[in-house]
Amino acid sequence: MTVLAGMFALAVSIAVGSVTIPIKEQVLILGHKLFGAAKPESVEASLISIMWSIRMPRAFLAFLAGGALSASGAVIQSVLQNPLASSYTLGVSSGASLGAAIVTVTELSIPFLGVFLLPVFGFAGGLLTVLFVIAFSARIDGNVKNHTIVLFGMVMSLFVNAVLTMLSVLASEHEHQLLAWQMGTFAGKRWYHVGILAAACLMGLVLLLRDHRELDILSFGDEQALAIGVDAPRVKKRLIVIAAFLTGVSVCFTGTIGFIDLIAPHMVRRIFGSVHRLVLPMSFLAGGICMCLADLLARTILAPQDLPVGAVTALFGAPFFMWLYFGKKGN
Amino acid sequence: MGIQLKQVFAGYGSPRNENQTDVLKNLTFGIQEGQTVCILGENGSGKSTLLRVLAGTLHYRGSIRLEDTELARMNRRNLSSQIAFMTQFSNVYFSYSVWETVMLGRYLKLNRFLGRPTETDRRRVAECLEMTGLSGLKEATLGELSGGQLQRVFLARTFAQDTPYILLDEPTNHLDLKYQSQLAQYLKDWAGRERQYPDGTFHCNTLIGVFHDINLALQIADELIVMKEGEILACGNKSQILQADILQQAYGMDVSTYMKKQLEIWNG
Repeated sequence: MTVLAGMFALAVSIAVGSVTIPIKEQVLILGHKLFGAAKPESVEASLISIMWSIRMPRAFLAFLAGGALSASGAVIQSVLQNPLASSYTLGVSSGASLGAAIVTVTELSIPFLGVFLLPVFGFAGGLLTVLFVIAFSARIDGNVKNHTIVLFGMVMSLFVNAVLTMLSVLASEHEHQLLAWQMGTFAGKRWYHVGILAAACLMGLVLLLRDHRELDILSFGDEQALAIGVDAPRVKKRLIVIAAFLTGVSVCFTGTIGFIDLIAPHMVRRIFGSVHRLVLPMSFLAGGICMCLADLLARTILAPQDLPVGAVTALFGAPFFMWLYFGKKGN
Repeated sequence: MGIQLKQVFAGYGSPRNENQTDVLKNLTFGIQEGQTVCILGENGSGKSTLLRVLAGTLHYRGSIRLEDTELARMNRRNLSSQIAFMTQFSNVYFSYSVWETVMLGRYLKLNRFLGRPTETDRRRVAECLEMTGLSGLKEATLGELSGGQLQRVFLARTFAQDTPYILLDEPTNHLDLKYQSQLAQYLKDWAGRERQYPDGTFHCNTLIGVFHDINLALQIADELIVMKEGEILACGNKSQILQADILQQAYGMDVSTYMKKQLEIWNG
């Protein structure tokens, strides 16, 4: 069901735009591109190239980024037993965009890394921030209580964002690009972006699913996890690193996009329960669907203006989240 | 066999912090296999801390040997397959069902990656639910339960771990009288029961519990440990501990007169 909904969201998101590409024609074009079927007569060549090189990479990237963010959001919420935590609150997102921004501003290039330069730096930035958050929390609080991590993560996140803003003012020639980053965008993405992110998502999801039972146990708190037989400090760090990896790679292509990683896991938990064997893949799909639709709105509401997708997710996400989270307590 | 503590100190705070104050001070005693040991003492006397140390969730200095192996050297899986620990009340943030929660107790018995629960796991979980009177609430989510029901869920999960040692921290403080007496009976039956280890040898179940309710502790314990300010004030069997001055020191009040007065209410 959810998979079908995901495909539908992708199809709609590919269909709508300055030119509409009906789903029937999408299928024809796909058949032509993927399976070497005869070039459909009824479809204009320009439509094919719009779909194949603009709409499709964009839709797929949005889907994957939303999925990656949501899956890592679900993990961080469980590991910290805080339904309000996410990669964003831990500073992973801002760390990753800072890493990516440094590459852009310094016009850095490292041989061999090639197209992997940005994801590598994004991942490193996100990971360094979260490791710093954990290490610092451990220094001031020996038991590394979860709320210490969340509080310090939020402080770090704001701090890193400030550095990012300074950077964008100083490097004024990149200002526009960096600003877009801070609000997130899927414009101008190519297939290789999709490829890298898809590989990262697959790897991350498999690694997370390996620990699905540990995630269930960790959501009851570290002491109970230890008592049941999960080496909580070690498994927790491992899971946070994988979550940082997923977030880092997606952020460095798209910029920071909030709320999806809070909303999607929440919806999933309410519909499918809390067992991570389901929560992880479903959060991925739900996050992908939400992000596809958010991007669709971002490029159509004020067309031909392209809104930053982060603004759209926050605009719709904030009230939706309020309803989801506080509405539950009402009944 | 059993657990031997020698000059054990423990406290909270960062392990690097030199001047952390010790909550447990110089504990030396032994717990024999097959016994039911109850720990008594006023609030803050270090009862829960002692359980944490025994469960390996808190660092200690000194020596604790579990059947000839130093606790600190055992890896987590190994330790938790010997000792199960039910902590005091905990918050629940996510809506697992009762069945799912109790099944988590089978974690170490399941195979790592795709291992689905076997018939044995299901049967054991069903037994534990039956024992705690939760069979009718299998599908309920934790958020819907009362404090007492939640406590029974965690009890069931602890027993589902199927370990030869069980540590319980105030297992009855939220329970109705009916479940308190049922639990006391179950614990009495469970402790001392023989089980076969994977290596073929036979061992008896050992129970270590912290109880607020002195009467309940007296009812089930073979051995009592009375703590005061992180030290052991006295340990021994019922008649040794029931001496008025020991309990008077431990609780800072005349416990036996108080208990007798309560009895008078029933005797009319």
